[in-house]
Amino acid sequence: MRVAIEARNLSRWYGNVLGISEINLEINPGITALLGPNGAGKSTFMKILTGQLKANIGEARIFGEKVWNNTHIFRHLGFCPEDDAFYEDLSGFEFLCGLLSLYGYSQAEARGRARQALDLVELSDVGGRQVRSYSRGMRQRIKIAQAIAHDPDVLILDEPLSGLDPLSKRRIIKVIKEFKNAGKTIVVSSHILPEVEALTSEIILIHQGKIIARGDIYFIRDLIDTHPHMIRIKSPQFRQLAKSMASEDYLLKMAFEPENQAVVFETHDRDRFFNRLNELLLSSPLVIDEITSPDDNLQAVFDYLVGK
Amino acid sequence: MTSIREKGYHHWEGQFLEKQRTFWPITRTGLKLAFGRKHFKLFYTFSFIPAVVYAVIIYISERLEDFKSISQGAEKIFQINPNFFKSYLTLDILYFAILLLMSIGGAGLLADDFRHKAVQLYFARPLTKADYLLGKAGVVIFFVGTLTLIPAVLLYLLKLLFAGSFGFFLAYPGLILSIIACSLFLILFFTAFVLLASSLSNNRNYVISIIFGLYFFSEILRGIISVIFRSPLSALFSITANLKQVAAGFFQVKPPYDYPWYLSFLLVSLFCLLSYLVIKHKVRGVEVIK
Amino acid sequence: MFFLLSSASVLLAVIIRGYQLAGHWTESGQIIFQNILMVFFLQFLIVILSLFYGTSLVTEELEGKTLPYLTSRPVSRAEIIIGKYLASLALTSIMLVSTVLISYLILNIDRDFRLKDLWTVARYSLVLWLGLAAYLSFFTFLSTWLSKPILLGLAFGFGWENVIQYFPGTTQKLSVVHYLKSLLPQYTAASGRLSFLFIRLEPTRDWLSVLILILITAIFLALAALLFSFKEYLMQD
Repeated sequence: MRVAIEARNLSRWYGNVLGISEINLEINPGITALLGPNGAGKSTFMKILTGQLKANIGEARIFGEKVWNNTHIFRHLGFCPEDDAFYEDLSGFEFLCGLLSLYGYSQAEARGRARQALDLVELSDVGGRQVRSYSRGMRQRIKIAQAIAHDPDVLILDEPLSGLDPLSKRRIIKVIKEFKNAGKTIVVSSHILPEVEALTSEIILIHQGKIIARGDIYFIRDLIDTHPHMIRIKSPQFRQLAKSMASEDYLLKMAFEPENQAVVFETHDRDRFFNRLNELLLSSPLVIDEITSPDDNLQAVFDYLVGK
Repeated sequence: MTSIREKGYHHWEGQFLEKQRTFWPITRTGLKLAFGRKHFKLFYTFSFIPAVVYAVIIYISERLEDFKSISQGAEKIFQINPNFFKSYLTLDILYFAILLLMSIGGAGLLADDFRHKAVQLYFARPLTKADYLLGKAGVVIFFVGTLTLIPAVLLYLLKLLFAGSFGFFLAYPGLILSIIACSLFLILFFTAFVLLASSLSNNRNYVISIIFGLYFFSEILRGIISVIFRSPLSALFSITANLKQVAAGFFQVKPPYDYPWYLSFLLVSLFCLLSYLVIKHKVRGVEVIK
Repeated sequence: MFFLLSSASVLLAVIIRGYQLAGHWTESGQIIFQNILMVFFLQFLIVILSLFYGTSLVTEELEGKTLPYLTSRPVSRAEIIIGKYLASLALTSIMLVSTVLISYLILNIDRDFRLKDLWTVARYSLVLWLGLAAYLSFFTFLSTWLSKPILLGLAFGFGWENVIQYFPGTTQKLSVVHYLKSLLPQYTAASGRLSFLFIRLEPTRDWLSVLILILITAIFLALAALLFSFKEYLMQD
């Protein structure tokens, strides 16, 4: 069986700025998430995969065929760009029909497919409205509709969930999963871990233009768990809280912020820490104003992985 | 358990800050962006060539004896009088340079804000529509002012300096006022024209096309109407002809077209007023989707 | 806006016709129309229409960041450019030809009007259309080549094209307008005030002018398609 997506020694830079460097990978059917902080090179990688940019070194292939300037392959490829850009004066339906006509479909077939795509992303009722009047969630969904309307085998989605409300996210996740169930190959980029978790367990970590890890999402979770966590609690009784927690063996460090009435704990077992905190809150009149995790994000994991 | 916070009314005991010159940061940013555009500095520098040429003429006019070989037969050029200053302020090449500069640095003043939906960001600050428009107008005022008012006044001072006496001042006591009034009128017109064009679209290319399209179209229209009706009033259709006619009025010299200069003055003033109303209507904090 | 600009000639024709019917105007509708044709359509409208639509062709997609929607479809980049060019040409042709025709009819329809007069207006329209196609092709090329093509386009359309045509000899042949003028009815000093537009014109033969205009269109369109096929476009932020 041919590999769906293949990157060989892929490198791309913009003047002196490095986009991606020596990326080698193969992606098979299913959902694969490209995970990395902003500016990591996710979009550059996706643009090369979809023939928008040419790699300075190396080559990207889809189903064994090179992508750059190979229009034939675009019949099997759907691309949802990151930018919130549209032909604003067109209606959602016209937007889809116009793009579908570029596949050589007859007008009737293009209209049929456009309607089907609108149904899939639950926009049928507003298909006749100008795109400029769409909400953020609708715009994101119509963008996905144009990527799936021709029923591609490979779907590349650049940050499809960014800036969406939970309901819209759920809708888009549903559409992407339906595609996966149909045996397609989907690559999704994101910089938000919970978003990716809801989509897939197969992830590729990209950082500063390089792939630093690839595998199951639980591997990342484990990394997070073995990597010490910081938990900042703001409370008028922050010293009392610190005193109550000090005897716990999973606590590594404590630091006070008297000016903010807060204490920062460092622990390597977040679950046990929060269980103990719950017990304390139930058994004593402690008042807590705020709980935050200053490093509970991908950046912390990336920093950890790259040894910062 | 923490108690539910009581919802109450709090008196605000702060003080309002005195109104600041809120338009200035907008102007400053506009100028910075304009100078940051490709080739802008080069075009801006070239735009001063006419002023330099006029300065050289003033110099030669005071040294006619030394430059006999150049000035022979062209004495009229070296006569420094109100017509000389009027001719500087009505140079076609100067107007073209202003429009070119404003196409590069001014076309996007409002259009870019519309395109990026940035107007609402301005109005989320303590800023009135007048502050916003004044800030944007400041950019055009700066460039048109530095190409009209400042060089014209400097040329006047240069003439006084080179002459070394107050003879010129006494010969034309109202000239400096004419220079200032005419320059201010030009500044007003170009500001209204550029901002109007910029407010008509969110596409910078379209704005540039409007600026030059209307400029050339008005001249062509004048040409056609003049051929058909053979009336000097056809000049009322042309941007440059109107500006030249008004300038003649300010400098109290013979107007280039045979009709009272105040007709052009009224027409241009009406255009500025209408432009202001259109711009004011177009600049809204909320996008209305029809 | 451009529809309004195009229809300015119609408005002008209505005013002139009214003036003519009132008995204030003695010159024939043909002569008046030729004046409008030379000054408004030839020197202004086809240049501004092609300038705006041609230079926007790629720039608009780049500034609006909509280019990936087109370049991720199974159509070659050359087809995209040619398709967009043809769409712009179709739109501008409608604006041009309809206003030429209407203005002509307004100025010339009377009892003496014959069907063969329509041949004259068809010929004018065709010449202007050839000019439009050539300018549009050149500005399309600028759009694929430069990130800000409009200023160079302005310099070419209203600077170079205006100045070079009054140069003697072969120099004037380096403009598009020279070949268009060669195909239009020649002015003499007696035929109107706009005869100055033809001073120094050393006309090229009709068939050669048509051929050169078609070649200009084809060459710049091919260059645009070629450049667009191999050039990478980075979206503006």
